[in-house]
Amino acid sequence: MANYFNTLPLREQLEQLSHAEFMETAEFADGVNALKGKKIVIVGAGAQGLNQGLNLRDSGLDISYALRKEAIEQKRDSWKNATDNNFTVGTYDELIPTADLVINLTPDKQHTAVINAVMPLMKQGAALSYSHGFNIVEEGMQIRKDITVLMVAPKCPGSEVRAEYLRGFGVPTLIAVHPENDPEGKGWPYAKAYCVGTGGHHAGVLKSSFVAEVKSDLMGEQTILCGLLQTGSILSFDKMVEKGIDAGYASKLVQYGVEVITEALKHGGVSGMLDRLSNPAKIKAFQISEELKDIMRPLFQKHQDDIMSGEFSKTMMEDWANGDVNLLKWRAETGETAFEKTPAGDVKIGDQEYFDNYLLMVAFVRAGVELAFETMVEAGIKPESAYYESLHETPLIANTIARKKLFEMNRVISDTAEYGCYLFDQACKPLLADFMKKVDTDLVGKNFNEGKDGSVDNVQLVQVNEILRSHPVEIVGVKLRKAMTAMKAIKTA
Amino acid sequence: MANPIVHIANLNLQYAGTTVLCDLNWRIYPGEHWIIGGKSGSGKSSLAKAMVKQEKASGEIIFRFDQSNPMLAQAYYVANWYQFANLEGDRNFYYQQRYNKQQRNDTLTVYADLIHFGKKQQLDFRDAEPILEALGFGNCRETQLIELSSGEHKKLQLVQALWLRPQLLILDEPYTGLDKRSRENFNSLLDDMANAGTTLVLISNDRNIPDAINRFAHIENGQLHAVSHLDEIKQDEQRQRKPFPYFLQQAPLVDHDTMVELRNVSVRYGEKEVLKNISWQVKAGEKWLLQGPNGSGKSTLLSLLNGDHPQAYATDIFLFGKKRGSGESIWDIKQKIGIISPELHWYFDKNATVWHAIASGFYDSVGWFIQVKYEEKKQIEQLLDFFDLLQDKDKLLHTLPLGKQRLALLARTIIKNPQLLILDEPCQGLDRSQTAHFNAVLDELSGYGKTLIYVGHYESQLPACLDNRLVLEKGEVVISERREKNSIAG
Repeated sequence: MANYFNTLPLREQLEQLSHAEFMETAEFADGVNALKGKKIVIVGAGAQGLNQGLNLRDSGLDISYALRKEAIEQKRDSWKNATDNNFTVGTYDELIPTADLVINLTPDKQHTAVINAVMPLMKQGAALSYSHGFNIVEEGMQIRKDITVLMVAPKCPGSEVRAEYLRGFGVPTLIAVHPENDPEGKGWPYAKAYCVGTGGHHAGVLKSSFVAEVKSDLMGEQTILCGLLQTGSILSFDKMVEKGIDAGYASKLVQYGVEVITEALKHGGVSGMLDRLSNPAKIKAFQISEELKDIMRPLFQKHQDDIMSGEFSKTMMEDWANGDVNLLKWRAETGETAFEKTPAGDVKIGDQEYFDNYLLMVAFVRAGVELAFETMVEAGIKPESAYYESLHETPLIANTIARKKLFEMNRVISDTAEYGCYLFDQACKPLLADFMKKVDTDLVGKNFNEGKDGSVDNVQLVQVNEILRSHPVEIVGVKLRKAMTAMKAIKTA
Repeated sequence: MANPIVHIANLNLQYAGTTVLCDLNWRIYPGEHWIIGGKSGSGKSSLAKAMVKQEKASGEIIFRFDQSNPMLAQAYYVANWYQFANLEGDRNFYYQQRYNKQQRNDTLTVYADLIHFGKKQQLDFRDAEPILEALGFGNCRETQLIELSSGEHKKLQLVQALWLRPQLLILDEPYTGLDKRSRENFNSLLDDMANAGTTLVLISNDRNIPDAINRFAHIENGQLHAVSHLDEIKQDEQRQRKPFPYFLQQAPLVDHDTMVELRNVSVRYGEKEVLKNISWQVKAGEKWLLQGPNGSGKSTLLSLLNGDHPQAYATDIFLFGKKRGSGESIWDIKQKIGIISPELHWYFDKNATVWHAIASGFYDSVGWFIQVKYEEKKQIEQLLDFFDLLQDKDKLLHTLPLGKQRLALLARTIIKNPQLLILDEPCQGLDRSQTAHFNAVLDELSGYGKTLIYVGHYESQLPACLDNRLVLEKGEVVISERREKNSIAG
């Protein structure tokens, strides 16, 4: 199978990359009607599969689960998940031929095998949905021409998709229709109805394309979301220990700090995050994040280039074919770092202390978010998409670090994200070696404001604020956050 | 006189800028067992929390524990509000979560939680067994924390306290949600402990208290006042009755004469059968009392009606004339129902103000709403006024005294004048006078053509309007009958 994106002429590549339109509430006025009475069969009953199914059924739709024969015979978790909740469960052979819409919610890596098994069983004119476009765009899967192909991608873990729905909200969602597979023009009505069924329309929906989703998703996850948080966390911890800060304190500051800091990001954007600092600390964080941006820019660009050319997915799929040798090796190495092995100390760290004593992470996050956003936009991705895949998702990933550190983060994210995260981390650490030599405990481990009188040059402060607030990620962020009326604390431990 | 066990002098405590305790003095001598009652918001819980350093206060608090006393030399506080975390330290729960069956191993089981507690406190598990039995909690061992009902959660807290056997035990509203039998057994266990050397401090406005209680007090103007008898404890003044807002004096439009119909409905989780062959009809205009011991299946039954239970599909349940799973959404159902329950309260959005909480009742969401119409805003104002909550409308709901939080959530429940009201222990957390007031309000409201299902444990504290009764035991219907109004049955 050929990489789909690479088969397109440039004008078509640019056209598909530029899909990003924030949808008005009125566009969802038809509710779930387009799918009412239709037979919907979900393949896969993991976290996304089960929770989306529960939501869709609670929205009045007809849901059942198709599982592999072995999963049913051996009563695996997926089978238990579906039957314990009174869903109809059957094999592919039993259920797929009856389906008007097949929703594929299996892990990326299984997509080719699943689609090859499912497609011959699908009836003429049925629809097929994905929640990630990798299979179509990077693997170049060809879907029968009578089948409509769409995407509904909630930008949160499955458990959140359910929790927010039952609270009467939803999670931000990206929807798309594959232009090669919309023979009857029902792609958009189906995608919208499906999105309403999950509650996504309450929280902001972006009309995207398979191409835009994949190219921005890959970029975000391997650079700012996972890669940089991993690199920044490990470097910060090692620096504190080197400088004699108590290891238990350092471990706690790093594990929970990133969550507290990015919580401010979620509500007030990059400038809101920096507003949590004192004026002198803000100016310092601004200066070092400028420096970090200059150092890391070439690496961000390389990642984006490899994603666009298909080089990244080619290398990764080679590792898949090779039994995940590299992935498993890198995963094991992450489990062995000093940060991972040092339990968080039994010390209380206040909200503000996480900012004052961890200025370095504030700088890392600003540099990473802005760089990822800038690089994506330079590559032809629209600011709205770039915002979702950088700033918006950072607090969600930070939350997984707060739960059980980096090993947990890498366990929870997709294999694709994990693979890219390791690539980034390995290249980024040596790049920052000289920079880190200059870093002392005033930036990480101790209160930056200690012994300072808080005075700053007014003109300088005004300039810094102006630069922070007028960055394009802030402009689009203000607009999108306002539209996400249901924005609230997603997870707070 | 012997030295006091507890010596508190000049205790001062502020909460969000207002003075709660002001130069409070209190001594507890050996042999004394106190009950502190009195008005809601007078500072009872704050005092208890200050004693165990959960709340910051200035002044002197000295404990003199007796080394010859066999009980543990410790002050132990059982809060009126619990919060557990899942295995990952997360507290982001939602109230329907315990019915969703995928997060099986997300929280500890009761047994694992007790083992954990026992290990931390170096206790012998054999000592916990009789307590579990006495509180009727023995069969909950393998239940996950998330699956417990509110009464069962309360029991778990109490089991730990009784098992620990501290020299000073401070209990903040311990009877909340307990069924009648557990409550009697609990009181006699407290008496046993008092005899064995524990000093009791009980914060409650209940009448049925352990015999050991021999000292009575309330807090007024930030100071503790001892009184000589339970009856002298100051209660909230009788509220002034106001007329109901006009929109609630209208009978709601009813879709179907039979609002709820269950035909042989069973719910099981693996081996555990939570509901067995339940058949039940609720007709428009009926007022049902739903009763049963903790864990008998009441909450599960109600969750089937409110669209909160995934197993409501593929069963014979008809709501408002339509079979469940015939294309309706849970929002269609919720739109016709006003619900309040302890679980809804526990997991309510911490960022919601009183006004937001009430407004969210129009949309059946938890603290969030789309756009409130002018007419709806007026109705919110009227209800705020009716419940005396106008001055609190912009405060965060969870910062108010428990009793006021409940009133705000009650306002949320009735704001849309729903076809069916489901009131699952609506008075939990309210004191006697608040309960009496609420019941009077409900009796009047029910006169305007409402239909309701009411869960309550204590016969003496029920509204008079309830005309039918359904009693569950171990997931089965044991009584389903018309009820004589005002009857005070067992």
